[in-house]
Amino acid sequence: MSSGSAILHTAVLTRRSVRGRLRQPAALTPSFVFPLFFAALGSASFSRIADRPDFAAIAPSFLNYAVAGAIVQGVLFASTSAAGDLATDIEQGFFERLLASPVTRTSILLGRLGSAMVVAVVQVTIFLAIFLAFGARIETGVIGFIGLVVAGALLALAMSGLMSGLAIKSGSPEVVQGAFPMVFALMFLSSAFFPRQYMTGWYQDVATWNPMSHVVEGMQGFMNQPLNVDQFLRAWLIPLGIALAAIAFGLRSLNKRLAAL
Amino acid sequence: MLPGPCRMAPSTFVTERLSRLARPGQEFVECNIVTTSPSAPIVATGLVRHFGSGDSLVRAVDGVDLQVEAGEIFGFLGPNGAGKSTTVRVLTTLLKPSAGSATVAGFDVATQADKVRRAIGVALQDAAIDPLMTGRELLDLQSVLYGIPKSVATKRGPELLERVGLTAAADRRVGTYSGGMRRRLDLALSLVHEPSVLFLDEPTTGLDPMSRLTLWEEVRRLNREGTTVLLTTQYLEEADQLADRIAIIDHGKIVRQGVPRDLKAQVGSPTLFIDVDGEHVDMARGILERFGDLRPTSEGKLGVGLAQGAEAVASVIRTLDEAGVHVRHLELNEPSLDDVFAEATGYRLEGADQ
Repeated sequence: MSSGSAILHTAVLTRRSVRGRLRQPAALTPSFVFPLFFAALGSASFSRIADRPDFAAIAPSFLNYAVAGAIVQGVLFASTSAAGDLATDIEQGFFERLLASPVTRTSILLGRLGSAMVVAVVQVTIFLAIFLAFGARIETGVIGFIGLVVAGALLALAMSGLMSGLAIKSGSPEVVQGAFPMVFALMFLSSAFFPRQYMTGWYQDVATWNPMSHVVEGMQGFMNQPLNVDQFLRAWLIPLGIALAAIAFGLRSLNKRLAAL
Repeated sequence: MLPGPCRMAPSTFVTERLSRLARPGQEFVECNIVTTSPSAPIVATGLVRHFGSGDSLVRAVDGVDLQVEAGEIFGFLGPNGAGKSTTVRVLTTLLKPSAGSATVAGFDVATQADKVRRAIGVALQDAAIDPLMTGRELLDLQSVLYGIPKSVATKRGPELLERVGLTAAADRRVGTYSGGMRRRLDLALSLVHEPSVLFLDEPTTGLDPMSRLTLWEEVRRLNREGTTVLLTTQYLEEADQLADRIAIIDHGKIVRQGVPRDLKAQVGSPTLFIDVDGEHVDMARGILERFGDLRPTSEGKLGVGLAQGAEAVASVIRTLDEAGVHVRHLELNEPSLDDVFAEATGYRLEGADQ
């Protein structure tokens, strides 16, 4: 199978997957609504934190602070849902239909990951537009905007890769959805919703070790700090590293499933 | 004597069954002789597929030998769980054989799977079609996956939709299609790359009689155009109506294989039932006895198993007429595939009359 075919197959399966996502508003809407709801709730509940004199070093407003957390939450939510669609394909037999065709096998996985990235790009753009409309501002300007969009796409790649691996391994949408609360817990144990500097005890220790904190803080850097390399390292390289490991896991799961046929 | 096929040459196949003389003291053993036609689109030799291991080992396909000739419709008949779908999955590269070998369109299913996939069309049981996509989108997707140039695909897609009667529904999501429409779309999808060999796994299961007839007609049309078709079915009538040859599979083994007419003839002679005037019953009975064994019938009728087959009907009627026996009604009953199935497996196929 040529690499040209692989790219073409990945592209058409990405398009199919994006269409599928857009045609399930009930599945896609929560990934847009809940993060914005949590951001609004957080802004209302914790806005007085911004009155602390040292908060200015973190963000100009709590709304600005909440942007990265909302993006991460939305992207993780949507990416899990995309992987759930792959499990549905397996459960309902469309996966087998694809296997009966000369499709490049890896494209079945990569098409799903591609769609998660496309949705993430749209999602991050919409989120930023909404936050900007409500008074948030991106300190790093257009480069920061691009930095956030790329970070969202890489995070989607990482999350959908992990969950797709699980989807291929289990063949069950329920297993994929069941795994999401663990990711959600990981997010609550990070600085996505609350600054790490204000945490205490074990909670702060966990948040410090949690890679999610560093991804979020890298993205917060684009929103709230002058442009620097650290933002790219944390917001791009950590998700990229996880994504590479996740893709390897996904491909291994796929190969094992195919070998078991 | 080991059961199973008796291979006389590596690549041959035989449709007829022979009796072979065993060693002194042993009985005759029936076996298939395998002769090969290299050009046959589907050839399976000693095909085995098992699942599980140890005590839980299930031999879903247990030494299947078959050969489907170019241009024929081959019916694979058996009850649920007999091994039909597993055999098709192996032949279509969706499962690897545990033992034995098979070639489809001249390519080995185990070592040349990608070439097999490019040469065949597959419509699987349950028509797994993405309900969120439209018929046209699925055809476009299938065209790309099979490497069909866009210029060709844009012409062929609408042709196929027209052919299966889905032009009006082409831009509707498949989730809104009826079962029959899904099956027809499934068939269209399997034809996108104009395959020379088509696998249809229980294509009409669950369809209403009208949809079933429509699909039969399309299968016949495809076959007339030169497509070799292997279809699995649990409906005897479907096999009888469509297939040039059939194989009956039970517990993973092929228990009968051949032309339906011949298989029926092997089961027994056709029965001629006649209805004559009361005063001629005894005379008619005497005449009928000359043509075969009398068969039990309802009161007032006579039945005879024609030893010479259906060809003897004319002679029976002529003899009765010459003897002055007036025949009010006659009926010829051929053995059915259900009889063949029952004779081969020891039980009747559930829903055989469908």
